[in-house]
Amino acid sequence: MSKLDATDIQGFALRGYTFPLARFLFVRISDTKKGQAFVAELVSRLTTGEKWDEKHKPRTTVNVALTYPGLVALGLPQASLQGFPVEFVQGMKARGGILCDVGKNAPQHWDGVWQEGPVHVWLGIYAESSEELEQKCAELTALAERTGGAAIVGKQDAAALVIDGKPSRKEHFGYTDGFGNPDYLGVDRDTQPGQGKLAPDGKSWLPLATGELLLGYADEAGELPVAPVPHLLANNGTFMVYRKLHQNVATFRAYMKEKGKLYPGGEEKLKAKFVGRWRDGTPLELSPDHGDAAIVADNNRNVNFTYGGDADGARCPLSAHIRRANPRDAFGFHGGLTNRRRITRRGLTYGPYTPDGEPGDDKAEHGVIFMALNASIFRQFEFVQQQWIEYGNDARQGNDRDALLGNHEGKGKFVVPGTDDAANPPFICGGLPSFVELRGGDYFFIPSITALKMIGVGAVDPR
Amino acid sequence: MAEKQGVMSNINGKQYAMNAISPMKPWKTWILRAFFFFLGHFPSAGRDLVNLSFIHFARWVIVRRNQFPRLSEHQPPDNLRYDYLLFFSNFNGTWNQYIDAFSAVLSRGLDAIWCWSEKFPGAAPVTPFKEYIAQGQFETDYYYTAYPHATTNDVKAAHRVTAALEALAQQRGKTAAEFEKAYRQFLVSVQGDLGATGEAPVGT
Amino acid sequence: MANQSGSVYGLTILSPIARSAHGSESHSLAIRQCLEKLPRGADSPFAKVSSTHMARLVVMDDVVYFGRPSREEHLRSKYLIFESNFDGDLDPYLRRLAVEVPQEVHAVWRHCEGYPGVENVDAFIRYMKRCQVETTFFFADVNDKTVQQTLQALQTQSAVTAFIEKNQGKPAEELQRAFVKFIDSLQSAPPPVPGIVQGRELADE
Repeated sequence: MSKLDATDIQGFALRGYTFPLARFLFVRISDTKKGQAFVAELVSRLTTGEKWDEKHKPRTTVNVALTYPGLVALGLPQASLQGFPVEFVQGMKARGGILCDVGKNAPQHWDGVWQEGPVHVWLGIYAESSEELEQKCAELTALAERTGGAAIVGKQDAAALVIDGKPSRKEHFGYTDGFGNPDYLGVDRDTQPGQGKLAPDGKSWLPLATGELLLGYADEAGELPVAPVPHLLANNGTFMVYRKLHQNVATFRAYMKEKGKLYPGGEEKLKAKFVGRWRDGTPLELSPDHGDAAIVADNNRNVNFTYGGDADGARCPLSAHIRRANPRDAFGFHGGLTNRRRITRRGLTYGPYTPDGEPGDDKAEHGVIFMALNASIFRQFEFVQQQWIEYGNDARQGNDRDALLGNHEGKGKFVVPGTDDAANPPFICGGLPSFVELRGGDYFFIPSITALKMIGVGAVDPR
Repeated sequence: MAEKQGVMSNINGKQYAMNAISPMKPWKTWILRAFFFFLGHFPSAGRDLVNLSFIHFARWVIVRRNQFPRLSEHQPPDNLRYDYLLFFSNFNGTWNQYIDAFSAVLSRGLDAIWCWSEKFPGAAPVTPFKEYIAQGQFETDYYYTAYPHATTNDVKAAHRVTAALEALAQQRGKTAAEFEKAYRQFLVSVQGDLGATGEAPVGT
Repeated sequence: MANQSGSVYGLTILSPIARSAHGSESHSLAIRQCLEKLPRGADSPFAKVSSTHMARLVVMDDVVYFGRPSREEHLRSKYLIFESNFDGDLDPYLRRLAVEVPQEVHAVWRHCEGYPGVENVDAFIRYMKRCQVETTFFFADVNDKTVQQTLQALQTQSAVTAFIEKNQGKPAEELQRAFVKFIDSLQSAPPPVPGIVQGRELADE
């Protein structure tokens, strides 16, 4: 398998950008020809997947993604449109039953731009400084105005959380994030052991099939993922799930404080049990009793572990978030049941960090912009969301949901397995509130550079 | 959630009722019978099926071409060339999840059963396999389950909890300290089996 | 015995559907309509014949043709398939169907060829056995627990979970007292009803 042509793949699909600031612009197309012209002009401004070294890192990046209504607005022929997967065509709002986007997560609570809809285009701009961010956004806005036919209908700022004056990798509950993105065959990036799939020896790791991320390549089942015609439209593209996740910081802090008093391991350990990592990022599997900065700093260790030796969940609970989202070998069969359920995350926080010690405010505008990339939204993201986050049968936890992310609404529980030592008994956290609420989002297609050029000149030919 | 009457559905609570049929040349039927005989007498060969743990009850029924019940002269006699393999499954999870899992980790076992059926493409890769099943699957008109709120994992967990509780109940007359120790051990033995039961996720 | 696994019986019955003047179309249509109206949940006839774990009724119109080089062929009759997974032996189960839910059985099977009615239970049992096809291979994940034991266990599991959470961190004497009360309350709880979703979340307690 030769290396991928990184110049044809958008950078956002291949790399997790490490920039302190970002802005996402949501665009609506009102005229097909003019919208195409906008896309055509965008292409030369896009960041591709070419790897850069520190000396040549750009100051800003620009990438683009399109919803199904966006593809329709851009005049794609019917035969091409019909080849897109059903869930993408329907869009995220219509899939609410499957995703459990009900109650507080239902569309009536979403930001206006997602309720009014439709959003056609997502523009992702990352930058090193706010001046450069503003400048780039102004440039793109001017481009939209000049070509006519494309209007900015909404925006979302995001930024690495600044804690004690420095940008950090933490999110609003204080957990260090950004571990565990998958490793794919042919993608040229810094890989770490533990990111791919388990090798037959049960200890080492192999990259996942390229087709788990990108269209046009074989996936883990040895097939090409569902993709529209022609090949050039689909190849080197991927799908993005964009979800704005509000975080109830006050509820989280109060709940953990209360339960932390009752849990013999204490508040920090309880927080670690919810996720499967200590808040500093140390995996519980590797260090069940305390965080360990040396492990966190060691890329050969910080995602390199399995659950086979912890079948009872005494170290990492069966219901912990990372164990649910990526069960690795926990279901047996050398991980064969989990290899086709991986997603690549590109999230970034929004809103300012609430300093430690403060109670926090659930009404404040803060949370995580969750962006997941996968070749099949249905088979990957939607499956994990429906079966492993909002339900627990595969983890043998019945109807119990992911403690941190689940749509609990005051009911529901989290079981922390323990031992028969009186200092470490099993512990049940009941009456779980919803710590995270959905405020909108949609399903997007991230086309290749070639595909965008074709779209830009209206040259998509489905045969 | 009240059970909807008049809804022809393969799904009832957390169970899915799949029915599938495939034709087999009569000389191949004997090989399949031999394979099932082997499976029945060497249960370890079915270990992977047990470990997948999302089937409550499943059966294969070979109906030989002259075995379709004929009860009276009114019924015209059949003149079939093929034997038929009927498959009935009561499983947990969605249709896609079920077939994905089997194709991913049990494809050789499935091949051993279905390769004798006409035009079977193999259990892997998964898409042609799904197409084959879809073609041979027919809808359930009426489906009953005594425990729609429980998967087979839930059922097994419940039995383990019940057994552990019965053992603990024997200790309730001991001293408080002795009981507390027994209770702690009880907690550890059931801690993995306490998932709630209830509604199933929306079918996809 | 291929039809059995442990204490569970896997019954497969293929009842030919009666032909009428226009072929068997109107009878199979009638069966389908009847099945649409058949009560579900706790009122299902299979909830009443309470040894039934899972059961289904399926109208099979025909065999399936998968394409060349196979030859196309068709069944001359349609069949009502009855697939049931129940506790115990066959004869007592068929007897229960005839005796405990005769109206429902009659409503469905009266459209089938050779059906003798339910009043003569022995004749009914003979008829059903004539339509029985041997299960070649039967898999039952749990094959040693009755329906009642299973429903009871699920109820117990729910109650135990609630008890554990409620009594976390209690001192030894209090815990023991609470446990004794709990065991008593379990024993006097009404038996669970088959066929419906049960299981209450902790916070409902």
